[in-house]
Amino acid sequence: MATPVVMPQMGESIAEGTIVRWIKKVGDAVDRDEPLFEISTDKVDAEIPSPVAGTLIDIAVKEGETVAVNSVVATIGAAGEKANEQGAAALAEAAPANSPPPSGKAQPQAAQGDGTPTKTVSDPSAATSAPAPAATEVKDDDQDTAGSDDGRRQKSSPLVRRIAKEHGVDIRQITGTGISGRVTKQDILGYLDAPAADREPSRAGSGEASPQRPDSRDGGTPPSAPTWSGGGDEVAPMSVMRKKIAEHMIVSRRTSAHVYSVFEVNYSKVDDIRKARRSDYEQRGVKLTFTSFIAKVAVDCLRRHKIINASIDGDNVVYRREINLGIAVALENGLIVPVVKRADDLNILGLSRSIADVADRARAKKLNPDEVHGGTFTITNPGNFGAQFGLPIINQPQVAILGVGAIEKRVVVIDDMIGIRLMGYLTLGYDHRLVDGAVADQFMADVKKGIETFDASQV
Amino acid sequence: MLANEYDVVVVGAGTGGYVAAIRAAQLGLKVAVVEKQKALGGTCLIWGCIPTKALLEHAHALKVAQSGKEWGLTGFDPAAVRIDMPAVHARKDKMITGLTGGIEMLFKKNKIDWIKGSARLTGGKAVEVTLHDGGKQVLTATKEVIVATGSAPRSVPGIEPDRKKIIFSDEAIHLGEVPKTIAIMGSGAVGVEFASIFKSFGSEVTVIELLPRLVPGEDEAVSAELEKTFKRKGIKSLTGTKVTSAKAGAKGVDLEIASTDQKTQKMTVDVLLVATGRGPVTDGLGAEAVGLTMDRGYIVVDQQFRTSVAGISAIGDVITMGGPHYQLAHVSSMEGVVLAERIAGHTVTPINYDHVPRCTYCDPEIGSVGFTEAQAREKGYDVRVGVFPFKALARARMAGETDGFVKIVADKKYDEVLGVHIIGPRATELIAEAVLALRLECTVEELVKTIHAHPTMSEAVGEASHAAHGAAIHM
Repeated sequence: MATPVVMPQMGESIAEGTIVRWIKKVGDAVDRDEPLFEISTDKVDAEIPSPVAGTLIDIAVKEGETVAVNSVVATIGAAGEKANEQGAAALAEAAPANSPPPSGKAQPQAAQGDGTPTKTVSDPSAATSAPAPAATEVKDDDQDTAGSDDGRRQKSSPLVRRIAKEHGVDIRQITGTGISGRVTKQDILGYLDAPAADREPSRAGSGEASPQRPDSRDGGTPPSAPTWSGGGDEVAPMSVMRKKIAEHMIVSRRTSAHVYSVFEVNYSKVDDIRKARRSDYEQRGVKLTFTSFIAKVAVDCLRRHKIINASIDGDNVVYRREINLGIAVALENGLIVPVVKRADDLNILGLSRSIADVADRARAKKLNPDEVHGGTFTITNPGNFGAQFGLPIINQPQVAILGVGAIEKRVVVIDDMIGIRLMGYLTLGYDHRLVDGAVADQFMADVKKGIETFDASQV
Repeated sequence: MLANEYDVVVVGAGTGGYVAAIRAAQLGLKVAVVEKQKALGGTCLIWGCIPTKALLEHAHALKVAQSGKEWGLTGFDPAAVRIDMPAVHARKDKMITGLTGGIEMLFKKNKIDWIKGSARLTGGKAVEVTLHDGGKQVLTATKEVIVATGSAPRSVPGIEPDRKKIIFSDEAIHLGEVPKTIAIMGSGAVGVEFASIFKSFGSEVTVIELLPRLVPGEDEAVSAELEKTFKRKGIKSLTGTKVTSAKAGAKGVDLEIASTDQKTQKMTVDVLLVATGRGPVTDGLGAEAVGLTMDRGYIVVDQQFRTSVAGISAIGDVITMGGPHYQLAHVSSMEGVVLAERIAGHTVTPINYDHVPRCTYCDPEIGSVGFTEAQAREKGYDVRVGVFPFKALARARMAGETDGFVKIVADKKYDEVLGVHIIGPRATELIAEAVLALRLECTVEELVKTIHAHPTMSEAVGEASHAAHGAAIHM
C-alpha cells in the first residue's frame, strides 16, 4: 500500500516549504524515521524523516521547488511497488483532511513530542484510510485557526477560518481590514493571491509606500540596487534561508525605529562564580557560559521592565505574558534564532541547558519547528568573534534585542585606582516607537547591576 | 460660530438626511437640515414605506376578518366585511403624523435646526434657502454639505400620468375609494405590493411587467412562487408585456398592451398605477451649476459619498456610484451614518452593497439578501442550494400561511452563504438573520448549528441550511 509523504507544517505561520535535497532516491529502501529529504522554510531548515518503512517509489517535487504545506512530495510503497497515479492523487486529497490543523491549539502539542520534526508529518496510517465524505463536508466548528497562545486572537469570520484551514494559513499573519481589524474574506483571498514574498504582516510601516517586490512566488528577495558583474565574478543563487534573512532584515528596518544604547559591564564577579562552579556544571553535562549569566539576568530584568518584552499591534501594545528568549545562532551560511520558551521558569542550570540544546540542534538542523517561533526578546553575541559591540537589527515583532560584545580584560579606574577587570559592552537595540531612551537605559542599568552583583547562591 | 454657520448642512430630511443629521449631532457636530415639506421623514414616512405598509396591515386585517369562519370568529358575517377607506386613511395618517413628529422631537433633542424651505447649492460649502415665507437665508457648513434630496416616481416615455386616473404610488396611498379594476405597470416592489393591497381591498388587479417574470430582481424561484400564488389569489400577471399606450377618459383608462410576440391587446381599467421606478430629485438644487458631476440625473459619488466638488457629499436615492444604486430607506440611512462618522473624523469602511436586504411586502412577503442562484453561478461559484417550504413548517400552518419557501444559495468550496431568498410569511423579518450571516461571512455550517426556536417561522432558515448540506430534518 502506498503512503504519501507530505510537506510538513513546520510552524504555525508557515504555508510552504522548499525541498533543498533528496537524501533518498526513487527505488531506495527507507526505514521509518530515516531521513528522507531536507527542507527549508522561512523559519527553519530540517531533515524530514520517512513516516513509514518501505521503498521510495515516487518523488513528486524536485529539489529546489517550493510547495504548499500538506502537498504530497513523495510516495512510499512496499518494496517493488510502482507509483500509482490514481492512488497518489486520492491520497493527496485525503492528506490535508487528516493532517493536524494549522491551529495554535494543535501545533504546540505536536511540537512538544519527542523533539523530532516527525510529529508534524501527518500520521501516515490516518492518511491512508479514506475519510468518509461527510468528514470533509462538515468539519468541527469549534476549531479556530487563530490560536490563543499568542496573547490575543486575530478576529476573523467563520468563512475566513474555513479558507485558512483549507490553505494551511495562520490568520494572524494577515492584516484585517474589517471592523476592529477583523480579517475578512477579501483580506484572506488577497493574502492567498499575493506572491509569498509579499505576505508580511503589515503591522507597522503603514503610510509608508511599500517597496516594489518581485512578482514571482519564490523570488523572496527584497529589491536590491542595480549591480554589475565583472568577468571573473562568481554568481551563485541565494539559499532560501539567505533570501528570508534578507527579507526579514529589510522588513525590520522598515518597521521599527531602531535606536541603540551601549553599556560597559564588569564581568569579574560572574567570572569568579563561573570558575568556581564550572566543573560542577560540567559533571551535569552543562557548560556554564557568560551567555548563561547574561540570559538569566536579562530574563529577570524583562520581568521587571515588561515594555521591553512587548510587541506593537496596530495601535495596541501587547505585553507578553511569557518570556520566550531567542538566541541568535550563526550557521555556516546563515543565521537562525531558536527560542527558549518560558525562559523565566528556568534557573541558571535549566537556562544553560536549554540554550546549549537549541543552539546545538540549530547547527545540526534538528530544530523542532515551533522552536523558532514565538520569541519575545532576543540575545545575539557578536562578541564571539571579537567585536567590541554590535548594533543588531530587531527580530520582529519584538521591540528589543541585546547584543553581547567581546568580554576581555581591560584597564579600568576603580576608586581612583587603576585596575584590570574582565569587561565587555552590552548593546540594546530597541524600537523607539514603543521604548523611549530613558526606559531602555533603566532596563540596561538594571542588567548591568544584575551582572555585576550576581548572587552566587543562584548558581 | 455665526448664526447661519454650521458644521454640517443637510439638504433633505428623508431617511438618509435625517439619520445623517442625528448621527452627526451625536458625534458633537452642529447641524442644520433644510427640508421643504411640511413634515420630516421624506418619501419613506410620507409617501413610501410607512403608508404602504400601513395599508398592508389593513389588508391583512381584512383578510383575517373575511376568512372569519375558518378562524372560528362569530358575531358578524365574514362575507359582508368591507374595507372603510376613510377610516383606513385616518388611522394611517395619524400614525404618520406621530412618526414625523417623532423625528422633530429627535431633532430638538439633538439640537438640530430644521430650516423650512428649498435649498440651492451656491458653491463652496454654502446653501441658499428660499424660505416658505419668501425670504432667503444662506447657510454655510464648516465641514460638509450633505445632499440627500432623494427620488420621486417616474414614468416611461409615452405614458403620461395625470395623477388622477393614471397615477403614481404617491396617489395610490391616498385613493379615497377602492377602484373596481386597476392595472399596475411594473412588478418591482412597489408594483407587487400595491397589487396585493388592492386585491385584498377587492379590486380586480392586473400586473403588467415588461420582463419575462414578476419581481425580476429576485431569484427566479421566488418569481415563480409569487406568480403561482398571485394566480391563485386571482391577480392577473402579464409578463413580457409592454404598455404601448394609456389614455385617461371619462370611463377610466384605455390601455394598449403588446406582448413580446407582438400580440396587441386592449383593456380598460379604472386606474392605471405606474410603478416603473424612481428618478433622482435635483430640481432647483443647482447641482450642475456648482459643478457636481452627474450621470443620467444622478449625482456621482465615490464610496465615501464624496461628489466631484470638495465639501459636498451626497447619499441616498439621488446618488450613483457608477451604476444602479439601491433606492431603499435602510440603505440611505446606513449611508447617512457612515457619512456622518466620516465627517466627524472617524475611519469608515465602505458599505458592502452585496449585503443589502431587499424586502417586498406583497402577499406572500419576499425578503432576500446576497446573490441569487443565477448571479452566484454567473460569478463562477460552485453553487449548492438548500430549499425548505413553509408548508412543512408547523408555525406556518398555524398562521395559515403556507405559501413560499426559504432558499439558501451557498458556495460548495468554502461553504459560504452567498444569498438567502425567502418568500412566505414574515419573510421581511426572517431575512435579518441571513443579513447578519452574510455580514459576518458565515458558512452554512454556522446556520446549521444555530439553534432556531420552536415553533417559529425562523425554523425554515435552519431547515434550509440543513437542506443545503444534504437534507432537511423535517422533509
